[in-house]
Amino acid sequence: MRYTILLSIFLACVITTVSYAQSTGEAPAQKVFQTFKDTRVINTPSVEMVPHGSLDFRIGHRFGDAGGDGGGWTTFYGLEEAEDVMIGFDYGLGHNWTVGIMRTKGSGPLRQNISATTKMRIIEQEVNGNQPFSLVLYGMGSFSTMPKSTREDDLNFFAQPEHRLTYHMQLLLARKFSPRFSMQLGGGWTYRNIVPFNDLNDLVHASASARIQVTKAIGLILDATVPFGNLRNTANADGERDFLPALGIGVEWETGGGHVFQMNFTNATGIAETDYIPYTESDWRDGEFRLGFTISRLFKI
Amino acid sequence: MIKYVVAIIVSIVLASSATDADTIKEDVTTMSVLATLEALGKDVDHLKPNLLIVNASAEAGERLIKEGFATKGNGKATRQQSKHFVCTSCHNVVQEDPDLESMDPQARLEYSELRGIPYLQGTTLYGAVNRESFYNGDYYKKYGELVNPARNDLREAVKLCAVECAQGRKLADWELESVMAYLWDIGLQMDDLNLAGEELEWIQMTLDEGKQDQDVIDLIESRYIKASPATFSLPPADRAAGSGLVGDTDNGKLLYDNSCLHCHQNARYSYLHLDDTKLSFKHLKRHMSKYTRHSLYQVVRWGVPVKSGKESYMPQYPQEKMTDQQLADLRSYIESRA
Repeated sequence: MRYTILLSIFLACVITTVSYAQSTGEAPAQKVFQTFKDTRVINTPSVEMVPHGSLDFRIGHRFGDAGGDGGGWTTFYGLEEAEDVMIGFDYGLGHNWTVGIMRTKGSGPLRQNISATTKMRIIEQEVNGNQPFSLVLYGMGSFSTMPKSTREDDLNFFAQPEHRLTYHMQLLLARKFSPRFSMQLGGGWTYRNIVPFNDLNDLVHASASARIQVTKAIGLILDATVPFGNLRNTANADGERDFLPALGIGVEWETGGGHVFQMNFTNATGIAETDYIPYTESDWRDGEFRLGFTISRLFKI
Repeated sequence: MIKYVVAIIVSIVLASSATDADTIKEDVTTMSVLATLEALGKDVDHLKPNLLIVNASAEAGERLIKEGFATKGNGKATRQQSKHFVCTSCHNVVQEDPDLESMDPQARLEYSELRGIPYLQGTTLYGAVNRESFYNGDYYKKYGELVNPARNDLREAVKLCAVECAQGRKLADWELESVMAYLWDIGLQMDDLNLAGEELEWIQMTLDEGKQDQDVIDLIESRYIKASPATFSLPPADRAAGSGLVGDTDNGKLLYDNSCLHCHQNARYSYLHLDDTKLSFKHLKRHMSKYTRHSLYQVVRWGVPVKSGKESYMPQYPQEKMTDQQLADLRSYIESRA
């Protein structure tokens, strides 16, 4: 049933995209260029697509906690730790459709993840204001390749092969208000086939992201993802929450020649949605934030 | 029996009507320059496309030039000729000089604005078949010995452009002949030339008499330039001070809109996105005086070179495509908007 729903939504998006493209017989309206510089803001995917026929090779990194118990001089403020590493490729299958595959080390209970992603643009913001925003559907499926644990209470005990799988889907709504300011709101759903004790398989979240372009090449980016659920909105016995929103702030700059370099600070340890949305436990207030960066190189193939 | 009689009658009627049509003289003002020159005795066979090659057609050539790929007879599209450019990145396919007897950059800029076409580094492909020399002047400095076979041979010039200028793959024979077919179609027309009434009458009369006359050929060929010169020049020694010429801001806007934005708007053929916002103008102004590839002077006069693994580049503007005065105008506009 769940697969049927997913397939229906996917097909609806394809049909919407195709029919929208075909319905306008006139010359295409001028689209807004680069609401964000990159296909990801910090943690959240952005409404940007990989250009048709281009391959985006990406490397993402999240160091260890800068402060707190695991940070400080001992780990050189987290730089000697790697919470998560991502190596992946995104490909522009069409102007409005990007697919990708990535391997992440993973920072939650499920690691060594292979994830497939798809991003479809349903609406693209137009310069003349007929389409005041861009609307994108993003989906991914993640498969943990980590070895089976012998302990039954570990998540990676993998009693069933399906327990290795996690799904995620979200809608992103963004608007470039001016050359200097863009904003994006998102909402989505993550489904884990296996969850820690007392947690729920379904997890809903909301996100907000912004980009403030400081100069032609340098921009400031902000990103927040807030999951909702029984363990996310209520405090534990210690009066604290086990899981927290993922908050990030960063700088990105174009180095010319197709490179976008991004350096960010976030409390999220994971890079993939199926990781940082359900499993962010680090707290900014305790110094548990980390340096992260993304290197992206676009190849025309 | 009746059907044979009818067939014979129809054949006779058709044959007689064809004979009538042949006797109608063609109006020279509706003819292409090459067709006229050929009728007057000039050998243009080497410029004619070989359309006997399978898949070769003017339509395929047009698509290759404008979109970078063509469709074969089986409907299958070819691989993109270049990942980075199409011919129209750097060349127009319509007339770009108001007067074909001179190549005045400023007149071309104003004419481009009037016609709504970009103002580019490369010479228009319109009338390329009427030119007799390619990669002229200082292009030898850029491409060295590679220009030698291309200097007097349009096919070789197209082949060099495909591989070196567009940084793409070699053209297949049918693709090359398709390009030649399209270039033939967009050759100069007689009514493009600045010919007086009595000159046209002389040409018409010579054609009507079926005569071959070198003087008439010389007259026609004197009314358009048969080679596009290229003179490379250096950026000003002191980039902060510039060339010392006073810039015309309005003219600079024409250059920015018709030249810079043609490639850079929405990063169309470049990784650098430029637009009509302060961010773009401030970026250009801040780098103007630097001795790097971000400087306007650097990229206009030296271009941006091809690097291993990064074949996309920017060709420089020869003086014939952007004068020092125009460069000063462009600077003036950028600084006024920054």
